[in-house]
Amino acid sequence: MIYLDNAATTPLSERAAKEQVLWACERFYNPSATYVQATKVAFALTEARGRLKKLLGVKDGEIIFTSGATEANNLAIRGSVREGKWEYVFSSAEHASVDNLAKALEREGREVKFVPIKKTGKVDLEKLEEVLNEKTRLVSCMFVNNVTGAVNDVAAIAKIIRKKAPKAIFHVDGVQAFCKLPFKLSNLDVDAFSLSAHKFHGPKGVGALYIKNKAGLKNQVYGGGQEFGIRSGTENVPGIMAMLTAAEELDVKGRLEKAELLKQAFLSELEGAGIELVKTNRSSPYIATFIFSGVNGETLVRMLENDVIVGRGSACSAKKSGNHVLEAMGYNLDQIKGAIRVSFDAALSEQEVRDAAKIVKQKYYELVEKLK
Amino acid sequence: MKTILLRFGELFLKGENRHLFENALLNNIRKKLSGEKFKLYRTQGRIMISDFENEDEIVERLTTVFGLHSLSLAEEVEASPESICNYFKTINLNAKTFKVEVNRADKRFPVKSMDFAATLGGILLDNNPELEVDLYSPQQKIMVDIRANGKAYVYGKTIACQGGLPLGTSGKALLLLSGGIDSPVAGYLMAKRGLKLEALHFHSYPYTSPEAKQKVVDLAKKLAIYNDEVKLHCISFTRVQEAIHQHCAPEFMITIMRRIMMRIAEQICKREGLGAIVTGESLGQVASQTMQSMTVTENVIKTTPVFRPCIAMDKEEIVAVAKKIDTFEISILPYEDCCTVFLPKNPVIKPKISQAEKEEKSLDLDALIGEALASEEVICVTAARE
Repeated sequence: MIYLDNAATTPLSERAAKEQVLWACERFYNPSATYVQATKVAFALTEARGRLKKLLGVKDGEIIFTSGATEANNLAIRGSVREGKWEYVFSSAEHASVDNLAKALEREGREVKFVPIKKTGKVDLEKLEEVLNEKTRLVSCMFVNNVTGAVNDVAAIAKIIRKKAPKAIFHVDGVQAFCKLPFKLSNLDVDAFSLSAHKFHGPKGVGALYIKNKAGLKNQVYGGGQEFGIRSGTENVPGIMAMLTAAEELDVKGRLEKAELLKQAFLSELEGAGIELVKTNRSSPYIATFIFSGVNGETLVRMLENDVIVGRGSACSAKKSGNHVLEAMGYNLDQIKGAIRVSFDAALSEQEVRDAAKIVKQKYYELVEKLK
Repeated sequence: MKTILLRFGELFLKGENRHLFENALLNNIRKKLSGEKFKLYRTQGRIMISDFENEDEIVERLTTVFGLHSLSLAEEVEASPESICNYFKTINLNAKTFKVEVNRADKRFPVKSMDFAATLGGILLDNNPELEVDLYSPQQKIMVDIRANGKAYVYGKTIACQGGLPLGTSGKALLLLSGGIDSPVAGYLMAKRGLKLEALHFHSYPYTSPEAKQKVVDLAKKLAIYNDEVKLHCISFTRVQEAIHQHCAPEFMITIMRRIMMRIAEQICKREGLGAIVTGESLGQVASQTMQSMTVTENVIKTTPVFRPCIAMDKEEIVAVAKKIDTFEISILPYEDCCTVFLPKNPVIKPKISQAEKEEKSLDLDALIGEALASEEVICVTAARE
């Protein structure tokens, strides 16, 4: 069985698992307690924030550990909402944790604007510039799209925001970028950045929000005042330590090269097979979405599951019909029904990926034949 | 002592066979209450339960036993005027108006019913000065049942049960369970008439999802509340559908599918000793549920009757039952079932037997049915209680 749904989740790395057990079983103390065993944990936690900032390539700002990216996104956005005639701007290809929140803000009567994406899968920068103004409070746009792999030019977006909307907070959902693409956050000029551990061989249920100016972020839950009072609740120390272990052992550049090789291998096997790649003009080599015309992607996923595991769009919303990202790119419902997402991990071999592509092709043809 | 009085439904109609029905009912009650502490006994045409602990749980379970008409939670006291009066002195009523009714099954009881009722009412009035008697529409009726076994039973509320006939007394049958709203209702209605059910589900993996199958298991869990447990036969219908799609006219897809489902159902009935097939069909609801479609579908089975208890029901009526038995919310989950895969645009509404037989000529029916039966997976589903 070849696993090609790494954008949905990845297996926990062994070293991270060991680290998690260490902090869960031996160094289990509550970092808020006052005895020395606990303060050691608190120090390690402070150190962990520094370690994560180093991985992100940023010196200023702060790290708030969360239960994952959904919470980090919600905290960044909800925490930036203010009373008054502010406007909130979102790309129309965001993950459900941003998209549904944007719609909720709209229902609450706030001024919400969606910026369309181009056929290339990237945010339309001209349209973005048009909607920004003095009243813009927040702009949220993902780094790498989880469905198409399209990579937005975050630095360029930041530049436009600074020029047109000087009061805006720029939030980036970096789930499919962190530990996958090499970047220095300090070069990107973002105010908030979300990440999730289980996408890079860390544990599930842990993530983080980087925030440049934590004073501007309003807490969403009340409690013991952990995480600078912004995110109360006893810290998931084992998860946080395992997340950092997983991240630190990755050679991001080397893995990126490998992923590029794997994606090319997969594409070359499917060349001329009548299977359409959802093309984006700059794309993450970790993700590729294909349109298998004339079939239901769900059926194909199940036909493949004993040999190759692939996904359908976003795993978080894969079970809902339609897919707003592909829809925003102009695909029709029949095409979206036949969409399948393949996502790679650097640990795969080229041969495995070629074999997987051959199986996918074969099963697709089988299904087409049956439906004739 | 707290006692539950149970009343039969129409068992009294059963003449010479009455004891068979009563025994079945007693066995079903024992099974239903297994795991609970209780004493079940029969006395003078009544079934009673005493020495129990979890009153709410026991009452809830009893209300799902077919064959019971109603039950009352009673206090058992010595059948003497003195002890009954003493018990009445302890009663605090949560009502403004009341009425006491006395029934003497034992006419040796020294006070006449009407007189005794007045005495008991007097006691209640003395102890609850706010109370008033209302003989015509009292908020609270208190019944005193004086039996010949030397005991009297005092109770207020009567709780309605399911009615019907004890499960299993009408035999065993096979329910075609699709995942929709109608088939669980059909199952419930037939189980109520004493049929112990097994269920048959056709899935079309990988065209249908594992969730679609789990949905049927969840429905069976709800049915099992009434049906004791449900033996669920799951059969892969994928190959059959692919073959029909390949070889038959598209408008006959559903007709041929249903004819093959019936054949498979009959084979399972024969093998398992089940005497009937139960379906959720309702006349005219969809193309496959016209009179002509049902004629063509039923034509393939020879010795097994098909019961369609929903046949004359409107959708709203079916939904009302589905809500009552708590299957509605599960049934409306939006997973594709096997009937929506390969669904033709214009299914034939008035098929003829000869047409269907002609279409089937291009299929190797024995092989397809054999293959489907070989895919059978049996799941024993037990009741899901909240």
